[in-house]
Amino acid sequence: MKKLLGVFLGVLSAIGGFVDIGDLVANAETGARFRMNLAWVVVVGVVGIIVYAEMAGRVAAVSGRPVFDLVRERLGPRFGLANLGASFFINFLTLTAEVAGVAIAISLLSSINYLFIVPAAAVLVWLVVWRMPFETMERIFGLLGLCLLVFAVTVWKIGPDWNQLLSGVVHPHVPSEENPFTYAYYGIALFGAAMTPYEVFFFSSGAVEDKWTVKDLGENRINVLLGFPPGGLLSLAIMACAHLVLAPANIGVGTLDQVSLPVALTLGKVGLAIVLIGIFAATFGAALETALSAGYVIAQYLGWTWGKHAAPRRATRFHLVIIITLAASTFFALSGVDPVKVTEYSIVLSAAALPLTYFPILVVANDPSYMGEHTNGRWLNAIASVYLVVLVAVALATIPLMIITKAGQ
Amino acid sequence: MPAARVLYASLDLLDRQLRDRHGVECGNVDDLELTRHDDGRLYVTAILSGPGVLLYRLGRRRLGSWIQRAHRRTGFADDADHARVPIELASTISASIDLAIDRTDHASFAGERWVGDHIISHIPGNDHDADQ
Repeated sequence: MKKLLGVFLGVLSAIGGFVDIGDLVANAETGARFRMNLAWVVVVGVVGIIVYAEMAGRVAAVSGRPVFDLVRERLGPRFGLANLGASFFINFLTLTAEVAGVAIAISLLSSINYLFIVPAAAVLVWLVVWRMPFETMERIFGLLGLCLLVFAVTVWKIGPDWNQLLSGVVHPHVPSEENPFTYAYYGIALFGAAMTPYEVFFFSSGAVEDKWTVKDLGENRINVLLGFPPGGLLSLAIMACAHLVLAPANIGVGTLDQVSLPVALTLGKVGLAIVLIGIFAATFGAALETALSAGYVIAQYLGWTWGKHAAPRRATRFHLVIIITLAASTFFALSGVDPVKVTEYSIVLSAAALPLTYFPILVVANDPSYMGEHTNGRWLNAIASVYLVVLVAVALATIPLMIITKAGQ
Repeated sequence: MPAARVLYASLDLLDRQLRDRHGVECGNVDDLELTRHDDGRLYVTAILSGPGVLLYRLGRRRLGSWIQRAHRRTGFADDADHARVPIELASTISASIDLAIDRTDHASFAGERWVGDHIISHIPGNDHDADQ
């Protein structure tokens, strides 16, 4: 019974923890500009993250080795180092966006300028990393993130023409006021947001922190298979809200409060309060994950002792990296950068870096010397290989599209 | 000479995670020491790991060996080479390599200790075990 409750809570936290600032911004932006015509990308992205997150979790549970450890072993130290540089930089951008997101959510609740809240938000993130047990941390913010389900309630309350909504999903086309390049660019942004690499850094390191073994493979599978699809539906609800409310009023998404606007207009003050708590939890949870990921990737590349499960004085360099990265993110956020722009760049660059993370996972998941009898099955390999081709194509297209569209303008 | 196991050094040894006798991470295999024996074959005789070793392997020979020397002088009180672990001390070689040493005796621990003594120990709650 206790085990069942654990699994249940795990799935709920996976749903609530699925969405972060990248998903919020990308889904609202595309909903407002392209209506539901890019919804299929979310579906493709969710299937991709399911395939690779399960693999990363399985590799971590069976071999005890997290992703970045394998990056250096399988790509070699030189290429691994280039990968570390790119991954760390993108993760830094994401962390900055999440910390700013936390501050904006609090500022919308309290009417204080968000820049005053940024330092406090960063300190709060650090305190949780420093003191709170890993599982408690995952549960609290995952479950609070379920407040975002209010986006789904909003769609239901609006009572849209479901056939029309679905036809955009099933028969997508480029809206007349857009061109194929911006369509592709925002498609890539959505894909990058759904498959963000830090999720697998965190997921696999978390499996090692939680001391997963072969016995936990079933729970790994259930978490991913039952937790991520509803998370994807939540992303689509955010998109649908923007499509139904923002697009007809010709409102684009330039700030985070415009993401929450459809909920506020439809459900009033209570709805707004719930959605802001949801945004706070989602960005705070992701800020924790990215802050920890900064420490994970560097410590794992260099072989240092790492992890939140031990006291900080037993993993000193790991904690120092987190402190320095958080401090740098705080300064970057305070420098007046536009948090929504930082978010956009972080997800688009994530898309460009996807193969760097997912290729080593696929290789190791097929290596019996790490995995014993738990290597990939044939069908899984077929799907994963198709995805790898897609990932490489996306990676190659990203930077040219960024230049052609002037970053989506 | 004990019978050697057949391993592909670059695939099964290089860049693997090292763990000490308590199962705690203590660096990666940054380089290997090969020794030619009388039979003309090369044997892996030691695992090299620690600051500067990887740089040396990647071709930054002067910078790498300078860091190693500087580190040897400042990191530990004795003259021993803490970056070199004889291969006999490797008990298992699989996804990670388990060594019969304490991580505090290994070269890569000097930085860990410095950060602990000078920074982490000054922050309250540093010995709080999150799991308990």
